[in-house]
Amino acid sequence: MKRAIGQNCGHSMLDTPTNAQSRSDLPWDVIVIGGGVVGCAITRRFALAGVRTLLLEKGSDILSGASKANSAIMHTGFDAPPDSIELACMKAGYNEYLDISGKMNLPTMKCGALVVAWDEAQLAELDGIVEKAHQNGINDVSLIDRQTLRSKEPGLSNGALAAVEVPREFVVDPWSAPLAYLTQAVRAGAEYRFNAEVTGGTFDGTNWHLSTDREVLTCKLVINCTGTKGDYIERICHEPEFEIRPRKGQFLVYDKSAASLINAIILPVPSPTTKGVVLTKTIFGNLLLGPTAEEQPGRENARVDHDVLQQLIETGARILPDLPTHEVTATYAGLRPATQFKDYQISANGDKNWIGVNGIRSTGLTASLGIATYVEQLCAETFGDLIRFEPPKTPFWPKMPSLAQGAERAYQTGDGTEIVCHCEGVTRGDIERALSSEIPAQSLGGLRRRTRVMMGRCNGFYCSARVAELTKGKLTPPLASEGDL
Amino acid sequence: MSSHDYDVAIIGSGPSGIGAATALSEAGIKGIVVFERETEIGGIPRHTHHPSFGLLVFKRPISGPKYIQALRKRCQSVRFETRTTVTTLRKDGYMEIATPKGVKTIRAKHIILATGARETPRHGRLTSGLRPQGITTTGALQQFIYGANMAPFSHPAIVGTELVSFSALWTLRSAGIRPAAMIEESSRITAYRPAALFARLLRVPIYYNSKITQIDGIEKARGLEIEIADGRHETISCDGVIFSGKFVGDNNVARASHLTLNPTTELPLVDQNWVSSDPDISVIGNAVHPADMGDHCYIEGLSAGKTVAEILRDGIEDYEVVEITHDAGIKLAAPSIVRLKRQEETKINISFHVNAPYSGNVTVKLGDEIVHQTSKRCRPARRITLKNVPITEAKGRDKCPIHVSLADI
Ligand SMILES: Cc1cc2nc3c(=O)[nH]c(=O)nc-3n(C[C@H](O)[C@H](O)[C@H](O)COP(=O)(O)OP(=O)(O)OC[C@H]3O[C@@H](n4cnc5c(N)ncnc54)[C@H](O)[C@@H]3O)c2cc1C
Ligand SMILES: Cc1cc2nc3c(=O)[nH]c(=O)nc-3n(C[C@H](O)[C@H](O)[C@H](O)COP(=O)(O)OP(=O)(O)OC[C@H]3O[C@@H](n4cnc5c(N)ncnc54)[C@H](O)[C@@H]3O)c2cc1C
Repeated sequence: MKRAIGQNCGHSMLDTPTNAQSRSDLPWDVIVIGGGVVGCAITRRFALAGVRTLLLEKGSDILSGASKANSAIMHTGFDAPPDSIELACMKAGYNEYLDISGKMNLPTMKCGALVVAWDEAQLAELDGIVEKAHQNGINDVSLIDRQTLRSKEPGLSNGALAAVEVPREFVVDPWSAPLAYLTQAVRAGAEYRFNAEVTGGTFDGTNWHLSTDREVLTCKLVINCTGTKGDYIERICHEPEFEIRPRKGQFLVYDKSAASLINAIILPVPSPTTKGVVLTKTIFGNLLLGPTAEEQPGRENARVDHDVLQQLIETGARILPDLPTHEVTATYAGLRPATQFKDYQISANGDKNWIGVNGIRSTGLTASLGIATYVEQLCAETFGDLIRFEPPKTPFWPKMPSLAQGAERAYQTGDGTEIVCHCEGVTRGDIERALSSEIPAQSLGGLRRRTRVMMGRCNGFYCSARVAELTKGKLTPPLASEGDL
Repeated sequence: MSSHDYDVAIIGSGPSGIGAATALSEAGIKGIVVFERETEIGGIPRHTHHPSFGLLVFKRPISGPKYIQALRKRCQSVRFETRTTVTTLRKDGYMEIATPKGVKTIRAKHIILATGARETPRHGRLTSGLRPQGITTTGALQQFIYGANMAPFSHPAIVGTELVSFSALWTLRSAGIRPAAMIEESSRITAYRPAALFARLLRVPIYYNSKITQIDGIEKARGLEIEIADGRHETISCDGVIFSGKFVGDNNVARASHLTLNPTTELPLVDQNWVSSDPDISVIGNAVHPADMGDHCYIEGLSAGKTVAEILRDGIEDYEVVEITHDAGIKLAAPSIVRLKRQEETKINISFHVNAPYSGNVTVKLGDEIVHQTSKRCRPARRITLKNVPITEAKGRDKCPIHVSLADI
C-alpha cells in the first residue's frame, strides 16, 4: 500500500495516470486545493468520514505557505474576538489537538504564556485582557504582580511591570502535526498530489473540472484552502466578498543556549492589528523572536530584511537583556493570509458545489482541526445529498517521529547509523526514514521539516554535502548537480 | 566514583587533536582515544584538497588529506573512534558520547576539546532576501566539490575576501567553476594583497565597499543585489552564494557544559597551557581562536599534549588564576587566563586577532607597569603573537589583570 501511494504523488507520477482515477473513472467526491495546515486537517476530517478526497498542493510538499512559517503556538483563544467563528474553531481545534496528539506522538510543550505590561498604559489594559479571556471561557487566566512575574521569569528586564498569566497557551511542532493529519487521511483512503497548482476550473452543473498544468481532475465539491491565493482561486467559482491582504511576519531563531532565558511564552499587550512580538521557546529547544507585522502586496515572497531583523533584536534585548550574547541560527518570514475582515471567511456556494476556507490569518495552526469540523458541518448542511458521510471507523493512528527537545531521538537510542547533522542530532537513519515514509520528503524543505537536518546553527556547513549524497535523485530541485564534475 | 575508561579523551581529530594525541603518546601515555563525529578523521584538512597546509610542519605546501595522512603516521598507536559524537561534558572527567549504537557515559582522567571552527553562515549574518537553495559556506563547498564530487551551482558569488574566500575560489576553479563575483565590505581585501591578483587572473571581479541588500530566487538562487558605498545598486546574476570566513568556534559542547566562557566572545577560557576553567579539561586549536592555520593548531596540540602528560604525572600544583583582558579593538586573545604557579618564573606567548587593521606598538601591562611592548602590523583574521611575555610579577597582586592594548602608552 505504501508503495502505491508513494508512486502516486508528486513528481514521480508525472506521466502515469493515477490508480484511483483509472481504477474507476468516478469523479472524486472532494478536491481540497491547498496543503497548508488547514487543507491537511480538512482532508483528514473528510477522509475519516469515508469521503473520497484528493488534496492538490502547488508546492513540492505540504506547508508551502503560511503554515511553514509561524510562531507554533497553540492558542487558547483568550484574546480572540468573542462570538467569532475564529474563536469557536480555535477552541475546538485546541481541544481536538490535545486529544489526538498523544495518539500520533505529536509533542506539546505545556509552558503557558505571560502577557507582559511594560508601561503604565499597557498596565491599565491588563484587567481588560483578563475580563475578555473569562468572557471567552478561558477561566484560568489571571493577573500576576511584578514580584511574582520576576520570580517566574528572572531573565526579563526590570521594566516588566505585571502580567496576565495564560496557563494553557502551549507550543507545538507546526510541521509534524499537519503531516500527521495528512498521513492519517492517506491511510483512510485520501490521496494527494504535490507540484499540482490549480490554474482554473469549470463547473458543468454537476461536477467540477479543475485543471493543473498536467491534468484535469473531476470532483463533486471543491474546498478552497489556498491561503494567500484564496481570493484568486475563489474567482474560479465566483467573485469573493473579501480580498487577501498578506501581512508578513519576520522571525529570528536563537541557538539552544538561549532557550533557558525564559520559561513561559512572553507576549506583549496586543494592538488592534497584531499580537505583537513574541518570545518563545520552540518545541525543538531554540528561542524564537518575532513576528513583525508588515502589510505587503506580494502573495508569495516572504523576504527577511537585515534592518528589520536588527530592530527585532533590539526589541528582544529590551525584553531579555542577555539575548544578544546568543547566536542566531535562522531567520525566516511568513505571510499571514489576512483579509480586510477580522474573522475567518468560510462560506459555501450551494449552487456551485464550492466551499471557501479563507482568511485564516494568524491562528490557523491552532484552529485547523476545529475548522475541519466546522467545514464538515457546513458541508453536511449545504451538500447533504451530494457528499455522504459514513460513520467513523477506527482510524489508523500514525506515530510521528518526535523531534522535540527532550524527546528520545534516534541518535540517543541508537538506530545503527551515524549522526549526519551535528547541530540538530539527525542520523542517516532519520533521513532515510523521511525519504521513504508514508508521505516522503520530495524537496529539501520537506526533508528539513521532517528531520531538522540543516536547520541548526551552522546552516549546513558540516552536513549539506553529505545530505546531497544521501538524497541523490530523491529531491526536487536537487541540492547539487548530480553525476561527476 | 567509578574508575576511568581512558587516561585522555580527545574530542576532534583535526590538526590540533592529532597534535595532542601525538605528544601524549610520545610521552608514554597509553590510554588515549580520539573521538571524531565524522566518518573520517582529519577535521577541515579532510576536505581541503588543495595544497594549503604544512609550510611550518613539513616545510612545503601539501594538500589537506596528505597532511592528515602524514600527521596520522606520527601517532600510529593511538585509537581513533569515528562516528562518535561527544554530546555532553561534565565535571570529574565524565562525558556522554553518541555512537550508532546509542548514547553512553564514559570517563577520562583528562579531556581535550579540539572541536575546531567554522564560518558564519547566511542566517547568522542576518542577510536580507529570500531563502533559495544554493546558499552555502566554503566548508560546505569543499565537501561538495572535493568530497562528494558534486556542485551545488555553476556561477556563484563569494561573500568575503579572507584567505578562506580565496580558498573557495581555488576550490571552485578545481571544478571548472568561475564565480560571478567576490564581494567585500571594506575598501581592500582582508587576505594578503597578492590574493587579489589571483582573482584578477581568473577574471573574477571584486566589488569593494559593498553590502548585500537582497538574495533573490524562490527555489534556486537567482541573483544578489548589492549596495556600493557611493549609493549605487547592482544586481549580480548568480545561482548560489558562498558566505566565506567570519570564523566562529564550534563550541556547542563547551557552551552547554560547566566550563567558564569569555562573556563577549563566548569562547571557553583557557590558560597558557590550554587548560580551561576545569583543570581536568583542556581546549585547543581553532575552538579557542577561530581561526588560525592548520600548522599553528598542530603545533599547539603538540605542546598542549605535552602539558597534559605532565599534569597526569605530577598533578596541577597550587596556582593563582589571573585574567588576560584586552582593548575593544582586539577581537580575541588566547590564552584568556593565566595559572601562575607559586615557585616559577612565568613567560607566556599571547596570540590575538584584531577587528580592524592596526600598525604600531602592542603593549602588555600589569597594572600600570609595562611588561612587554613590540611594534606589529596587524590585519583582521590573522594571528598575531607576542612571544615570551614575562608575567611572573602578576602573582600576589590580588587579581590585577594582564592587559593587552593596541597603543603606545
Ligand atoms: C508570522 C505568523 C505567525 C503565526 N503564528 C501562529 C501561531 O503561533 N499559532 C497559530 O495557530 N497560527 C499562527 N499563524 C497562523 C497560521 O500559520 C495560519 O493561519 C495557517 O498557516 C493558515 O493555513 P492555511 O492552510 O489556510 O494557509 P497556507 O498555509 O498558506 O496554505 C495554503 C497552501 O495552498 C497552496 N496553494 C496556493 N495556491 C494554490 C493553487 N493554485 N493550487 C494548489 N495549491 C495552492 C500553497 O502552496 C499553500 O501550501 C501565524 C502566521 C504567521 C504568518
Ligand atoms: C572552510 C575552512 C577552510 C580552511 N582552510 C585552511 C587552509 O587551507 N589552510 C589552513 O592552514 N587552515 C585552514 N583553515 C583553518 C582550519 O581551521 C585549521 O587548518 C585547522 O583545521 C584547525 O584545526 P582544529 O584541530 O582546531 O579543528 P578542525 O580541523 O576543525 O577539527 C575539528 C574536528 O572536531 C570534530 N568535532 C567537533 N565537535 C565534535 C564532537 N562534539 N564530537 C566529536 N568530534 C567533534 C570535527 O568533526 C572535526 O573533525 C580553514 C578553516 C575553514 C573553516
